[in-house]
Amino acid sequence: MSLKAFKLVPAVEREMLMGDKARINVECIECCGKNLYIGTNECFVYHFLLEEKISSAGKITFAATKQLHKYLGFKKAVSELKAASALNRLLVLCDNTITLVNMMNLEPIPTGARIKGAVTFTLNENPMSGDPFCVEVCIISVKRRTIQMFMVYEDRVQIVKEVSTPEQPCAVAVDGHYLCLALTTQYIILNYNTGISQDLFPYCSDEKRPIVKRIGRQEFLLAGPGGLGMFATVDGISQRAPVHWSENVIGAALCFPYVVALDSEFITVHSMLDQQLKQTLPFKEGHILQDFEGKVIVATNKGVYILVPLPLERQIQDLLTSHRVEEALVLAKAARRNIPKEKFQVMYKRILQQAGFIHFAQLQFLEAKELFRSGQLDVRELISLYPFLLPTSSSFIRSHPPLHEYADLNQLTQGDQEKMTKCKRFLMSYLNEVRSTEVANGYKEDIDTALLKLYAEANHESLLDLLVSENFCLLTDSAAWLEKHKKYFALGLLYHYNGQDAAALQLWVKIVNGDVQDSTRSDLYEYIVDFLTFCSDQELVWKYAEWVLQKSEEVGVQIFTKRPLEDQIFTKRPLEDQGKNSFNPDNVMNCLNKYPKSLVKYLEYLVLDRKIKKEKYHTHLAVLYLEAVLQLKSVTTDNCAELTETQTKLRSLLQKSDFYRIHLILDKIKGTDLHMERAILYGKLEEHDKALHILVHELKDFSAAEDYCIWSSESKDLPYRQRLFHMLLLVYLNPGSSDCELVMAAVDLLNNHAAEFDAARVLQLVPDSWSVQLLSPFLTRAMRESIHTKRMTQITLGLAKAENLIYKHDKVKLKGSPIILSDKKLCQVCQSPFCEPAFVRYPNGGMVHTHCAAKRLMNPNMTNHSQT
Amino acid sequence: MKPDGKVVLLGDMNVGKTSLLHRYTERRFQDTISTVGGAFYLKQWGPYNISIWDTAGREQFHGLGSMYCRGAAAVILTYDVNNLQSLIELEDRFLALTDTASTDCIFAIVGNKVDLTNEYALLLETEEENRSEKLVTSCISTKVQKQVHLDDAVALYKKILKYKMLDEKDVPAAEKMCFETSAKTGYKVDYLFETIFDMVVPIILRQQAEGPLQTVDLTNCKSAKRTKSGCCA
Repeated sequence: MSLKAFKLVPAVEREMLMGDKARINVECIECCGKNLYIGTNECFVYHFLLEEKISSAGKITFAATKQLHKYLGFKKAVSELKAASALNRLLVLCDNTITLVNMMNLEPIPTGARIKGAVTFTLNENPMSGDPFCVEVCIISVKRRTIQMFMVYEDRVQIVKEVSTPEQPCAVAVDGHYLCLALTTQYIILNYNTGISQDLFPYCSDEKRPIVKRIGRQEFLLAGPGGLGMFATVDGISQRAPVHWSENVIGAALCFPYVVALDSEFITVHSMLDQQLKQTLPFKEGHILQDFEGKVIVATNKGVYILVPLPLERQIQDLLTSHRVEEALVLAKAARRNIPKEKFQVMYKRILQQAGFIHFAQLQFLEAKELFRSGQLDVRELISLYPFLLPTSSSFIRSHPPLHEYADLNQLTQGDQEKMTKCKRFLMSYLNEVRSTEVANGYKEDIDTALLKLYAEANHESLLDLLVSENFCLLTDSAAWLEKHKKYFALGLLYHYNGQDAAALQLWVKIVNGDVQDSTRSDLYEYIVDFLTFCSDQELVWKYAEWVLQKSEEVGVQIFTKRPLEDQIFTKRPLEDQGKNSFNPDNVMNCLNKYPKSLVKYLEYLVLDRKIKKEKYHTHLAVLYLEAVLQLKSVTTDNCAELTETQTKLRSLLQKSDFYRIHLILDKIKGTDLHMERAILYGKLEEHDKALHILVHELKDFSAAEDYCIWSSESKDLPYRQRLFHMLLLVYLNPGSSDCELVMAAVDLLNNHAAEFDAARVLQLVPDSWSVQLLSPFLTRAMRESIHTKRMTQITLGLAKAENLIYKHDKVKLKGSPIILSDKKLCQVCQSPFCEPAFVRYPNGGMVHTHCAAKRLMNPNMTNHSQT
Repeated sequence: MKPDGKVVLLGDMNVGKTSLLHRYTERRFQDTISTVGGAFYLKQWGPYNISIWDTAGREQFHGLGSMYCRGAAAVILTYDVNNLQSLIELEDRFLALTDTASTDCIFAIVGNKVDLTNEYALLLETEEENRSEKLVTSCISTKVQKQVHLDDAVALYKKILKYKMLDEKDVPAAEKMCFETSAKTGYKVDYLFETIFDMVVPIILRQQAEGPLQTVDLTNCKSAKRTKSGCCA
């Protein structure tokens, strides 16, 4: 789990510091800008200038040049150094006294201002005074349990506060009004302004050296029990999980996002983001670790080193290279605050994409998809992994540097077919998801073509859905691929989508004819018929009409009969329009002449469905039916279903149509045994006697004769119907024959259809020999009918009289009482007297001038007035 | 990102605090090592970020507890149903740590490792709701007599109320706040956390409405003071 976050670079070698004097030890350091100060055990302060150099290979080195060194004149070690650059002062703690010296020449300031009695001190990096030329210094006093706050100016110091603590403090850090203190047995937060303190947690300072380090606004890092680095805010709570460093930590520093800790053997680097140990650098005899304005410096007694952080981008790349995606993403997110926004966004997207590919290579598609989505991956990066999926015309080039290490899917899966299939399935679903989103903008062709290829290869049913809906599949590329995978039907759809219906049909016809093999649709013939039916390219329809009809006359004819009406031309369109459209009935029939079954279907369509009232079609259809019937009769003796059916159709047409040439059919029918049909034709000619004669004498089908009377008189008036029935009765009673059968028929006719006869006339016709008994049902009904008619007439008469009476009553009422008009009567509208005899009277009795009435009619507003 | 509310898991070592949190966040059970110091996890609950602190049960880290509890909106006191001592420890050692918690902090008492008991099969049967999670039944093999019963937890809950000087009427009922879970099988783990989160939301709202309560927003105070001093200068 190691990561290279820092590099240890020497800054001040021991020779520069002490030359041959072996007893000199580094006691404390301070770094401010390029100024590096070192305090030694022999009371010297050294000043170096630190130059950072970057070699052409990107390697960072530091060169320290010694400026000067100064002996402070005590026998004690320099225990702490702090620079106050705004004041150009270095604060030096030596022998429990803080002296102010010039930062550049290390000379003590002339006023000799100093702070006495300090065990240790710290600067408030979040000062409350607001004076830029003043630093706030907090000291642990030599006085027991005492903390003092000072204001330090360029040449004077001033004590501002003294607070006492419950126990002896041994380390302190400051932020604003808050002191974070390591006491003898615990850490506390103390507000020196209010005096309120808050316990953090117990800690035994006797066993281990406490660490109190301000790491940012209102937050401190503390050495906790069990080798923990604890975070605590000024509110006394912890907002980050602790890091677990070693038991014997000497010093700690912060370099976001890392906590660096030093013990006697190692420098350890923990991430504040996930609390994990990220790097361990062996470092012996270290005793100082501090960060100065982001620069982490570590020192032994004899030398000073700098921990140079590697660029975060580089660290992230390292993590990605070792497939530590989660850590890389956490680090990348944290890098947001260290990297300019635009640069960060570009970088972060790229990292997300790289991470996506790492998951992808491990076949963790869900994670990969999410990362691709959030990283706004150019989908072609992914497609390009799959050999041959991108169209040859695509201008796509993979991004450089590459987002992943794979040349293609074969390398990634190492030829594992199962993995390969999984990857392909993923790409299918992914492309299908993104193709309609904005991710696809700009390269819809590439996406759809790739998707088509995947579908075709995997024999996926969505291939057809893709091709029949809006798509951007590139024709040449896709066509070649579909051909390769023998997806001819789909290829036809592709041609059709690209407006090449001719090519599509050619291909499909080939499939139906068996010239090429593609079993996608078992009903491809019907599909083609349907396609042609709705095809607007007339030439194309005519081109394949013959083929379609040859395959199936009944189904094929649909290309004409089911065609949308606007494509068909009948009679009412102008001539030039007809010229444009070739699907007029004449053209169609010309074509269908060779296909009798189709022709019949087409004529049925024209006559029965479209109800075209043209003699030609009606006659033609009747003739065709007739011929079919005759033909069937000649080959079969018994009644086959087809014959019955055709005959029914013929009869129905003859009965219902009024447009065919009756004589022509009649001529054709003469001499055949189609008596019923002949009777119908005579009926159409109003030659009912002939028709009835055939029905009665030739067919002897009395019920048919009755039916004839009924349908012939349909939509005619009652006398017409009565005439027909009388005619039939006469035929039955023809004196020429005394057939008993006919007599019975006559009796039945009368008894069953009493209402259709004029009883008076019937009684004259009926032979005298018939008994009343025989005709009793007829007579009863005739009587009833007659009485009913009489009574109905009486009722009508009565009602008419009553109505007349009502009108008379109204008239009398209106004549009513006289109205007397005198000069005393006033008009109800204008309230002036009447001067002329003419007036208007309203139904309520009100009287007004004629001109007032006219005005009122004009201006309905006056209505109210007139009513009052 | 600053969390809106804090939930703290407390309890003796080895009762399964980390496993409970892990089961809830990662949806699986995994052998964990003894927690060092503490760890935390951020949970988005509706519009709120709730931080869940998993504390170390070891005596060594006991001192950190009250800092973790500071300002907590809920404390989940965890014990092992097969270890009576772990329940006793809650009262003896851990209850005092919650003194720093928010004044309206809610308490839950959770008996974990219920899958190891002989009552577990019975529990599963009486479980009414059809759980989406598949319960691992293979582990029902070595059964032991449960040492701590729900009544004991209820009794502890009432003691806590007494300790906190809270009226039973003002706080959720003991029966509602005592849970028995299994981090290993996932039994009632989601139910536990989600019940707690739902109860924490009103506390968050109250804390936000009342402004500075336990967690003082110092950024605001400070800026106000600054302008004042700026004026005087």
